[in-house]
Amino acid sequence: MLHKVDARGLSCPQPVINATKALESNDKILVIVDNQTAFENIKRLATNKGCSVSEERKPNGIYIVLEKQGTPDIASQVKKDEILHHAIRDEKVLVISQDVLGKGDDTLGALLMKSFFHTMAETAPSPDVIIFLNSGVKLLTEGSPVLEDIQILEKKGTRLIGCGTCLDYFNLKDRLMAGSVSNMYEIKEMMLAASSTINL
Amino acid sequence: MIQVKSYCAVLFKSVNQTMWADKILEEKGILHKLIPVPRHISSDCGVCLRINSDHVEEAQKALENIEGFTDIVRI
Repeated sequence: MLHKVDARGLSCPQPVINATKALESNDKILVIVDNQTAFENIKRLATNKGCSVSEERKPNGIYIVLEKQGTPDIASQVKKDEILHHAIRDEKVLVISQDVLGKGDDTLGALLMKSFFHTMAETAPSPDVIIFLNSGVKLLTEGSPVLEDIQILEKKGTRLIGCGTCLDYFNLKDRLMAGSVSNMYEIKEMMLAASSTINL
Repeated sequence: MIQVKSYCAVLFKSVNQTMWADKILEEKGILHKLIPVPRHISSDCGVCLRINSDHVEEAQKALENIEGFTDIVRI
């Protein structure tokens, strides 16, 4: 019988840990998750472990079947990752590390931020990536004063990245209205791979 | 022979709980390091505490009753 890991309702990173443990003693497992992030994490686990993946979306969860396919080719994967991570991309990355623009007066800073995002949404060129750190993540969440402009930028193709640790710290993970959640590894890579990184 | 250090990650539900646990290990003098959760475990869950595998038992004893304690996994 197929070994089942029901990871619905579990918070990150528990689904991956439970699936990893199940793969130690089974060649084929079924993992059930209830959100897209957990699904992405399980898929990444499958790649790392050299498993094939098949998915089925049901009303009560995402059903993922992982099956081992011999030995994972970790060496070539690491090499591929290294090449990818060291390549300089012709990208402009913007880092927003607070919810106001500039230091000095926060009322003025809030106004400047609104004005800044309006300008960004209205005029070319747009940045390729915007990374939101610390209180900057508040701009991506419910009640953000610049949400409309941020969503326009996203539609135009700008990648919006919210720091997961920061969203967690401010208890805003389930209030994200634009962009995606990421980690320090990816943030570091994007900063260093970009042809220019502008810190605000 | 070269000795390869082996580490474990202590995971909590939230970053605030991890910060609290960081303080407790500091006070108890248990060697550790605050690091991002390794990417093979998750893409977005923030930070965890890395400890030397030799210190698993004492860390577990110090932290298992803290709210939000999730797991200790080998990394």
